[in-house]
Amino acid sequence: MNDLDQLKELLFGAEKQALDSISERVERREIRTADVADILPEAIHQSHQKDGELVESLTQPVGECFQRALRDEPETYADALYPVMGPAIRKSIMHALRNFSQQINEAVEHSLSPKGMKWRWQASRAGIPFGEYVLQKTMRYRVEQAYLISRENGLLVDHVHHESSKIKDSDAVSAMFTAIQDFVKESFSPDRTGRLESADMGEFTLWAVHGPHALLVCVIRGLPPKSLRADLSAILERIHFRYGDAIREYKGDTSTIPDVEVELERCLQFEAREESGKARKGPPVLIVILLFLLVVAAVVLGVRNWMYSQQQEKLDAALNAAPGIYVTNIDRSGGHFAVRGLRDPLAMEVTDVAESLDIAGERLSVSMQPFQSLQPGILAARAAQMFGKPESVDFSVSGTTLLVSGDAPWAWRQTLQSRFSNLAGIDRLDTSGLQATDRQQFADGIVSLNQRKFFFQSGVNFVEGDQDKLREFASELAKLKDDARGFGYSVSVTAMGSADSIGDAAANAALADRRASFAASVLASAGVDARIMRQPELRTADGQPREDVSQRFVQIDLQLESLPDLP
Amino acid sequence: MTPLTSKVCVVGDFAVGKTSVVERFVTNQFSEKYLSTVGVKIDTKEIDFPALGLTHKLVIWDVAGSEEFGSREMAYLRGASGYIYVADGTRSATLKAVERLQDQISEAHGSVPCVLLVNKRDLRQDWEVSDERFDALATKYNDAYQTSAKTGDDVDQAITRLAELIIDNDMRGA
Repeated sequence: MNDLDQLKELLFGAEKQALDSISERVERREIRTADVADILPEAIHQSHQKDGELVESLTQPVGECFQRALRDEPETYADALYPVMGPAIRKSIMHALRNFSQQINEAVEHSLSPKGMKWRWQASRAGIPFGEYVLQKTMRYRVEQAYLISRENGLLVDHVHHESSKIKDSDAVSAMFTAIQDFVKESFSPDRTGRLESADMGEFTLWAVHGPHALLVCVIRGLPPKSLRADLSAILERIHFRYGDAIREYKGDTSTIPDVEVELERCLQFEAREESGKARKGPPVLIVILLFLLVVAAVVLGVRNWMYSQQQEKLDAALNAAPGIYVTNIDRSGGHFAVRGLRDPLAMEVTDVAESLDIAGERLSVSMQPFQSLQPGILAARAAQMFGKPESVDFSVSGTTLLVSGDAPWAWRQTLQSRFSNLAGIDRLDTSGLQATDRQQFADGIVSLNQRKFFFQSGVNFVEGDQDKLREFASELAKLKDDARGFGYSVSVTAMGSADSIGDAAANAALADRRASFAASVLASAGVDARIMRQPELRTADGQPREDVSQRFVQIDLQLESLPDLP
Repeated sequence: MTPLTSKVCVVGDFAVGKTSVVERFVTNQFSEKYLSTVGVKIDTKEIDFPALGLTHKLVIWDVAGSEEFGSREMAYLRGASGYIYVADGTRSATLKAVERLQDQISEAHGSVPCVLLVNKRDLRQDWEVSDERFDALATKYNDAYQTSAKTGDDVDQAITRLAELIIDNDMRGA
C-alpha cells in the first residue's frame, strides 16, 4: 500500500467499504434476487394502489402463462377447479330450469283463463309480448331501474335497468329527479332537511335512498316491502365505501368511477313474484276448464238425447199413421233408429216418412215384413193398381164398398164390374158417381142416325144417290150394331116404307111394303137385320088423297135398348 | 369517444328567450308561442369534440326567469359546471338583471365558466343595447354573443363555446 492508497483509506475508508458492499450486491445475482423478493409484494401493492398500469402490464403475460399452464397440465387445473365448477354448473342449471318451469307454469296458467284472455288483449294493445305482460302482472314487485345520482350536481353517475324496461334519456331523468328533490326540499321543508324518499306513479313506485354524496333512485314495479329499503341502503353504503371520494368529486366523467355498474346491478336482483300458494287456493284453472267442458258436453249430450227421443216418438207416430205400415218396434242408439214391423208394398217408404221428420237415411235401418193392408187408402191404391185406373177416375173405400167416381170408358167399367170381387176386403162396388162418356157419345150417335129417310123416284127406284147413301148408312149401321153390345146396348132397326096417296090405296100400301123390303134387303146385304113396317097413307083433311112425291121414301128407325144385365 | 357529462344552467330575466335558445340548440326549432317556464325545464344535448376524443353531454337546466333568485332557484344551480346568461337586446333592463344574477351566483358558487347571450338579434332595429355596452359586457363574461333563437344565429356557437370552456376548466382542475 503506497502513500496515496493510505491517504485514500484515511479520507474515504468508510465510503469505500460502502461502495464495495453496494458493488458486491449489484454484481451478485443471488443478493439482487433476495433484495427484489423483499420489496416485490410491497412494490406490487403500491403500484396497484397508484394506478392500473401494473394490471395492464401483467394482463398479457399472466394470461399467456395461464394458457400455457392449462395446455400443458390440464389435469392439474381440472382437479383444482373441480370443487368450484361442479356446484357452479349445478347452480346455473337449477336456476335455468327453475326459471323455465316457472315460465311454463305461468304461460299455461294464464293462457286459457279469462284473466289470461284479458291480459292477452291488453298486452296486444300495449304492444308488448304476452309473456312479458304476464311477468309484469304476476310480479309482486321488481326493481326495474336504478339511478345513481350525484347529490352535488344532479349528474347521473350510472344507470342500470332490466332489458324489458323502457328507458328515456337517463341523464334528463336524473336531472329532473334532482330538480324535483330540490323543489320539494325548498318548498315544503322549512329547515331544508326534508327530502323526497318515495313517489308513486301508476304501477311504479320511486324510492330514493340518500347517501352523503350520492342518491340511489330505484324505479320499482308493484308494491315493494319495507325491508327493501334497508337492502337498497346497504348497496348505497357499499358504493360509498368503495367510490365515496370519486362520487364526491364527480364532474360528469364516468371513467373516474369504474365498475360502479356492477354494484348498482345488485339492485335489479330484488324482485318477488306472486306466491304460488295463492293460486292453489282456488281450483286449478285447467280443472275448472275441464269441468266446464264436461258440463257443457253433458248438457249438449242431454239435449241431443232428448231431441233424439222426441224424434223417435214422432217417427213412431208418423209411421203408424201412414196407411199400410205397422211398426212393431223402434230401437234407438244415439241418433240412429232401427225400425221393425210390417209394410204393405203399396205404402210409403219408411225412409220417406223419416226424411219428412229430418231423419236422414244414414241414421235409419229398416226391417219390414211385407203384408196386405185392408186400410181404405191402401185398398183404393190396390184397386187402382189392379184395374189400371184411368186418371179421370177416383177410388175410395167406405167400409167394404169400393166407391168409384169420375169418367171412364164403358169397357173399363165392365171389367171393374166383373172383377172387383177379387179385391180382398171389398164386397160391393158403387159406380153411381162414375160416368161413361164414350157410351153416351155412342147413344147420341145412334140418335143422330135415327129416322134417316131415303127417297124414291117411283116404284122402288131411288132418287139418284139415295141408294148409295142407304148402302153407306147400312155399313155404318152394321158397325154401330157391332159396337152397341160393347156399350151394353142392343139396336133394333125398322125399315118403314112410305108412298104417296095418288092412286089405289092398296097399290100404294103394297108399294110402301116393297120399298121397306127393298131397303131391308139393302140393310141385310150389310148384315143389318131390319123389321119391315109401312107408313100410314097420308090424306087431306077431307079424306082426299094427297099427291105428294115427298112421301115416296123409306125411313130407317133405330131403337136403342139396354141389355138386361146392366143397370 | 370518451363521454363527459356536465350540468349547465340557463338563467336570465323573464321572457328574454331562455327556453327558445335551448329549444333552438337542442331541437333546432323555434316557436313563436310564449310559454312561461315554471320551476325548471331540463334538456340534454351531446356535442362531439373529435379533436379531444370526447363527447360532451350537456344536461341543460332551463331555470324559470327571474330578476333575482330565491333559495329554490339557487338550489337548482347547485353543482352547475357552466352558465348561460341570457338577456334581451330590446330591453336593456334585462342586462342589469343578468348582472345581478351573475353577482348572486358568483357569490354562492364562485367562478364558473359562463357565456352571455344577448338575444333577439333578429330585432336588431329595436335594440336598446349599444355596441359599446355590449363590448364592455363581453369582457365581464368569458364570451358574449349576439344571438337570435328565432333565426338560430350564434346560438350553437355560444353554447358550444361554453362546452369547450367547461372542458378547459375541468382539465385545469384535473
